Amino acid sequence: MHVLTVALYYAILASSWNLIAGYTGLFSLAHHVFAGIGAYASALLVIRTGIPIPLGIACGGALAGAAGYTLGALTLRLRTLYLALATWAFAESIRLVVSMEYGLTRGDLGLAVPKLFRAVSPTPYYEVFLGCTAAAVAGLALLLRSRIGYRLRAIRDDEGAARAAGVNTVRWKRFVFGLSSGIAGLAGALYGHYIGLLSPAAMRFDEMALIIIMVILGGQRTLAGPIAGAVVIEVASEALRTYGQLRMVVFALVVLAVMRLYPAGLMGIVRAAIISRGRDRS
Amino acid sequence: MDLTLLTQYVLAGLVIGVIYCLMAVGITFIYSVMKMINWAMGEFYMIGGYAQYLLIASWLGPQRWALALPLAVLGVAALGMVVQRVLLRPMFVGQLERLDEYATIVTISLTVLFRNLAVVVFGPYQFSPRDYAPPFQLGPLPINGSRFVAFLGAVVLLGLFAAVVRRTWFGLALRGVAQNRLGAIAAGINLPRIDMLAFGIGVGLAGAAGALLAPVFLVYPESGALSTVKGFEIIVIGGLGSLPGSIVGGLLLGLVESLGSVLISPAFRDVYGFGLLLLILALRPTGLWGEQAREA
Repeated sequence: MHVLTVALYYAILASSWNLIAGYTGLFSLAHHVFAGIGAYASALLVIRTGIPIPLGIACGGALAGAAGYTLGALTLRLRTLYLALATWAFAESIRLVVSMEYGLTRGDLGLAVPKLFRAVSPTPYYEVFLGCTAAAVAGLALLLRSRIGYRLRAIRDDEGAARAAGVNTVRWKRFVFGLSSGIAGLAGALYGHYIGLLSPAAMRFDEMALIIIMVILGGQRTLAGPIAGAVVIEVASEALRTYGQLRMVVFALVVLAVMRLYPAGLMGIVRAAIISRGRDRS
Repeated sequence: MDLTLLTQYVLAGLVIGVIYCLMAVGITFIYSVMKMINWAMGEFYMIGGYAQYLLIASWLGPQRWALALPLAVLGVAALGMVVQRVLLRPMFVGQLERLDEYATIVTISLTVLFRNLAVVVFGPYQFSPRDYAPPFQLGPLPINGSRFVAFLGAVVLLGLFAAVVRRTWFGLALRGVAQNRLGAIAAGINLPRIDMLAFGIGVGLAGAAGALLAPVFLVYPESGALSTVKGFEIIVIGGLGSLPGSIVGGLLLGLVESLGSVLISPAFRDVYGFGLLLLILALRPTGLWGEQAREA
């Protein structure tokens, strides 16, 4: 149950990253940090000012969204590689600042966070996460089917042509940065109040690599892909826990194989199966 | 603060800066030729360190570290070429869309792969090869023997690299590919082979940094992480795709770290680089020498 809850957390992160990277083409390497910003903001607000936890979570998400919006505004002109570099630099700086600002965040020791529910079992958390994931995915689906979705995909496919066709790329790039980081921040805050302990280790680059692995494995242009990838990897991660680091080796190899041989990922396999079965039937 | 002390710190900063240059030049070189960023450079640094340690510990013995060095570097370069051939070539030959993303994802996955593979194969232990040479006095600066050897090694390698790129036919081909990939093909250059060799060279430089610094910063699976960070800091500061930028950036980083540790606090040694990086990002996002980030 705990594993599934964690998987749902990663599913939200993966889906929101897929929005910005898979659907809009903005390959941001700072996504994990927005989750961290949301988590720390919420935790600190609740601890320092005593506001109710749900409000703290909302504020954490809002703060992360604002940070994301700013980052989007700052990186408007940057091409893919430079964007990756800039977001990477941003992410590492934030991680260092959180680590160093001992007085504020207790750095590497970890920040004890008030839990959302008094229960010991993860069930209420699981339900909350399930609800949030469903809401996030539904929201994303609606967004992507709308005209905004068209605009985002246009930006991904050819920004110059999109601009020529009248898409306000500036506005939508900032928007998608803000939205996806806001979602990540909400998820991060929720996760923080679930686990009860925050540490800047969650903002290490390995976390970003994990998100990327999940999205790639699941299929990066699909809606269900990141969720499938997150669930599969989390469950596999737990199942292979005895093997320790070997898990990551396996995951990395799988991603390399997927990228090299079958870029459509898991969802690609599923789709192909559905299509071929439909064909057999007719 | 008196002048000798200041000179000492400046020299110390330059010494370490030159070694950082190796990483940065490797990254920039691969970018110039292949137009992709290899995020796994730090892992090749780590592999270089491990290769050097293994060669010394098991086969050649600590006296012949000078022989182990080029072997380690060649080993890393060979590994790089294999990686390029297997994983990255399809980027240019087969797939035409979204190259940058592909390269980033593949190299990030390589990072995860190598780092965890190192832990699985060698264990999470730290290995420390013996110092290469006794402590040395470089002008007013007393310096660790290994650092001095690393400094010399880096200078030699960078000089060799510059000589090859400027004076040989091969270097001419590299420069041609860096300037215009399509034109290079039209001129008859074997592009896939040049790509492979360039990747091997770039990666070899990182491996050399790792092998040279093995006694200084020790050999352990996570040693790649910090050097990747430093390497990319230099890239952002100096500008992607620019060799003088990498060298100046590397020296600058070394200086900033050294002086910052002395003047402000040694605990934040790794943070000063980031301060500089953020400054550069704010003022000149493409780096000091960077090419203009145009939409292609």
